[in-house]
Amino acid sequence: MAWVSSKYAFRSVGRNLRRTALSVLGIGIGCTLALVTESINRGRDELFARMGAYSGAGHLRVVPGGWRLRRDPRLRLADGKRDLEAARSLPGVAAVTVRARAQVLLAMGTHVVPLEMVGVDPENEPRTYRFVQNLEEGRYLAPGESGAAVVGRAVAERLRAELDDDILATAVGKDGDIEAALFRIVGIVATGSEDLDASICQVTLDDLEALTGLPSVAEVAVILEDWQASESTRALLAPRVAPGDEVLTWGEIAPEFQGHMEQDKAASRFIGFLIIVIVLLGVASAQLAAVLERRREFAVLSALGMQAGHMVRLVLQEGLTLGFFGGALGFALGAPLVWHLASAGLDFREYMGSSYSFQGVVLEPILYGDFGIWMIPYVLLIAVGATLAASLYPAWFAARTDPAVALRVAQ
Amino acid sequence: MVAGSTLRIAWRNLWRNRRRTSLAVAAIGLSVALVLAYYSLLRAYADWVLATLTGPMLGHVQVHAPEWRKDRAMDRTIEDVASILDALRRDPEVASATVRVYAPALAALGEEGFAVIVMGVDWEAESRPGRLLAGAPTPRSRGRVLMGRALAEMMGVREGDEIALVGQGADGSLANDLVQVQGLIETPVDFVNRQGIVLEIGEAQTLFAMPDEAHEVVVHARDPDAVELLASKLAGLPNLAGTEVLDWQTLAPEMVSLIEIIEVAGVFALVLIFVAASAGVANTMLMATFERTHEFGMLLALGAAPGCIVRMILAESVALGLTGAALGGTLGLLFVAVTHETGLDFAALTGGGPTELSFAGLSWSMRFYPSLAAGDVGRTILAVLVTSLIASIWPAFRAARLEPARALRD
Amino acid sequence: MARARLLRAVALSASISLFSGTVESFQKPPDVEAILTHLDDLYRSKSSTSRMEIRVVSRRTTRTLRLKAWSRGEEEVLVVIEEPAREAGTATLRVGDNLWNYLPRIARTIRVPPAMMLGSWMGTDFTNDDLVKESSLHKDFVSRVERRSEDPEGWWLTLEVKPEVVGRWAKIEFLVSDDWLPIEERHFDRKGRLARTMRFDEVKTLGGRRLPARLVLTPTDVEGQSTELRYLEIDFDVPIADDTFSLSRLEQTR
Repeated sequence: MAWVSSKYAFRSVGRNLRRTALSVLGIGIGCTLALVTESINRGRDELFARMGAYSGAGHLRVVPGGWRLRRDPRLRLADGKRDLEAARSLPGVAAVTVRARAQVLLAMGTHVVPLEMVGVDPENEPRTYRFVQNLEEGRYLAPGESGAAVVGRAVAERLRAELDDDILATAVGKDGDIEAALFRIVGIVATGSEDLDASICQVTLDDLEALTGLPSVAEVAVILEDWQASESTRALLAPRVAPGDEVLTWGEIAPEFQGHMEQDKAASRFIGFLIIVIVLLGVASAQLAAVLERRREFAVLSALGMQAGHMVRLVLQEGLTLGFFGGALGFALGAPLVWHLASAGLDFREYMGSSYSFQGVVLEPILYGDFGIWMIPYVLLIAVGATLAASLYPAWFAARTDPAVALRVAQ
Repeated sequence: MVAGSTLRIAWRNLWRNRRRTSLAVAAIGLSVALVLAYYSLLRAYADWVLATLTGPMLGHVQVHAPEWRKDRAMDRTIEDVASILDALRRDPEVASATVRVYAPALAALGEEGFAVIVMGVDWEAESRPGRLLAGAPTPRSRGRVLMGRALAEMMGVREGDEIALVGQGADGSLANDLVQVQGLIETPVDFVNRQGIVLEIGEAQTLFAMPDEAHEVVVHARDPDAVELLASKLAGLPNLAGTEVLDWQTLAPEMVSLIEIIEVAGVFALVLIFVAASAGVANTMLMATFERTHEFGMLLALGAAPGCIVRMILAESVALGLTGAALGGTLGLLFVAVTHETGLDFAALTGGGPTELSFAGLSWSMRFYPSLAAGDVGRTILAVLVTSLIASIWPAFRAARLEPARALRD
Repeated sequence: MARARLLRAVALSASISLFSGTVESFQKPPDVEAILTHLDDLYRSKSSTSRMEIRVVSRRTTRTLRLKAWSRGEEEVLVVIEEPAREAGTATLRVGDNLWNYLPRIARTIRVPPAMMLGSWMGTDFTNDDLVKESSLHKDFVSRVERRSEDPEGWWLTLEVKPEVVGRWAKIEFLVSDDWLPIEERHFDRKGRLARTMRFDEVKTLGGRRLPARLVLTPTDVEGQSTELRYLEIDFDVPIADDTFSLSRLEQTR
């Protein structure tokens, strides 16, 4: 009788078009919502990873062994060139840059600012450290330039210096002696955070090397195209770097971001769960209502000899059909929405206080939803799963119908 | 009159089919309950994020000598801190007030000196839950310090070791002493872990020649939402004349945007959930109404006016919606009532998020304290009502236009 | 650069050579190069011992230290605090690029990490590159006579830094007396702003040389702040025991 029940299921679904349409619509909307929510959740993960990576951490970073604990700017990679080559040869790389750091004292007259100066590769640095993209005054370093520096606004203020002023930088050289060099301020950066501004000072890598006497490459920062490939790419890179050097992921470099992200992941999962439950409720009540109305129908079937098991299967099959079409509808409605989310993104700036004019630099609060192949199985799972789960009670209920009682009772 | 009787009929109609109505009420009620639960958790989360960001280091309001934040010069101190603390603690809106000293210094286990920041704090105040040293083994005797774990590792220091501290007093004199490391700490604040040596405030004041002075006063407010007002109010206190009194948003604007993002994201999710719930309610209503076409046909055949049918359907929807909302509202409020005091363990709730949040080394137990505002409940109930009404308009008018014969046949 | 030399004498080294040169009291503009060379060498010698007083005036307080210092060549200096009693016996030893502090109260010797050597010295207005840099008025600046000064009597010189020189000061205005002793030195930063002023007075004969015993350094931007250095005694070119500049000796300097 199996095929009979499925044929019946199919046809009964077609018979009451309005009811079917409503159910499918209900399931469809629910699936759309679940889809959008999941896309946003994934997008939020990406936003955090982006925040962390682009504030200098990079998705991956090759650092000298021991740097993770000591964070001593004087540590240098065992073989910077080799590490750089290895990083460049990785698949899925969006940008690679090198850096070195040194503890310096900047001075103008009697005003001094101690900070960690960073020697960078001007061509690639803006792609990995987004803060320097927003220059308040002047310009960024030009490749091959010498004697130029880009500083944060608070640095300039504390030094009482302005654009085109010369500032003195003193550092401890390779052999422990004090070295000094003059730099002209070519650009001033304002991030909106005074602490951050007071710590920004970038010069070209060669200039830093000349100042400290230490070889230039102290770290290699990598930005990947797909942030989720961080772990796997790390596994690829680790064996290729020079012995003694380590490869860290952004989570290890900036653990506070990772912490937030983990926490947010859990929160997002919870929200997704809530939505699914609500969808389920809606579907269940609709299904149940439908079954209840069709008691007579089931009574007749039962009287005609259909067994309980078959009736259960019948209801479940109806449910599955509804679920499938509902899922398809949900996908059809949701996919364009998610596509829009993924390309244009949700720009939170409009909803945030406008008094912080530079906040867009500190974190670019645009959430890009995730659009991918995962959407199809996700929708299907929810649609079918929800309807099946929702149809269990009605199925059982239908099977239990006592034909005599049901036929007797007036609608 | 008409309305009254319509409602009564509507009510009786509803309960004539007990099972269907119960189901609908249950579905709506649960949806409402879930929305309210989410709302309450959203508030709890926002509170939690705020506490995380402001609890340990920032506080709600900070006081400094003018210009101190720029160069952190040792001699830019706040004077008469004892009386300042007194005055602050007497203010009813101040939950707690404490002071800190920040002194750059050299620390050495052997001969090698390391650049550190010696922080003078009030042990008791800073080891309260949610504060900087929460859970840390605070020393009970003199000459004992806590050291950031990362710093200790860098210096090769273990618990019980004696280290030398050398710095400059606020009067420029040489400050030096030997102290014993009571314990190693990991706090939510990175610079404390990497450079911090924490000393009792009185001892720090003596060591650095700043009697009754401090670099920072940290105030926690009773009402975290009214911080700006508190800051301006405190700025007007005579004891604080000549100092800089700022609320945390001004001190750390980057934190503000972080919170705003979280809030906006939360509201967004709320909207989604709302829509889901509304869709569910609508679906339920639609189904329920369409299933009763036969019944309406009968009524029409018996001579009921179409307008009457419409009114009745609408009234039933309202009654259904209200009942569901009432049920949901009760459940939601119950949820909040039960969890508000004791809090909710986040991990248990989400089935496997982090039980403790690793944030720059510290373990934070994720306990949330849900709360609801009257507005939240009101908004939800209103939404349900509106949705129920709208969802029943179409079937209502359709029913009214039925040909009784056809309807009876359905 | 008399200032730099002076400070090296105080903290790190004092190479002082005796100058008993002629004194020009004419009104005709002097030989600038000769003056600069004289100033550069004013406090130099192969070795020296000295006692001096440093007074730091800040907005908050005034602090006076009395120190005894030994120096040899450019690389070795030992400074011990004699007063105030609270800090007596505290010693600083510099040998080459290493700097140690000895603290008698806790009986510990601590090496100052290189990064911390960059800031201000001992809370005074002197910076470490004042103390450490090998700079010379004569070599690093292009100089000329600006004008005559009548009260006090002397010559104003203008020194402009040579383009390839790395240093804080773009310009120095120098007032020298007719007997080629420094009276006032004004330092202008790289933006041409007056950053600080040094005044020299209390000309005495110390260690056989005639030189200003007192120097007051006043930064322009900070109100109420100044650092005063006064030599009480100096002995130039005296023999100094080899083990003076050693860690073990450091701990016995009480």
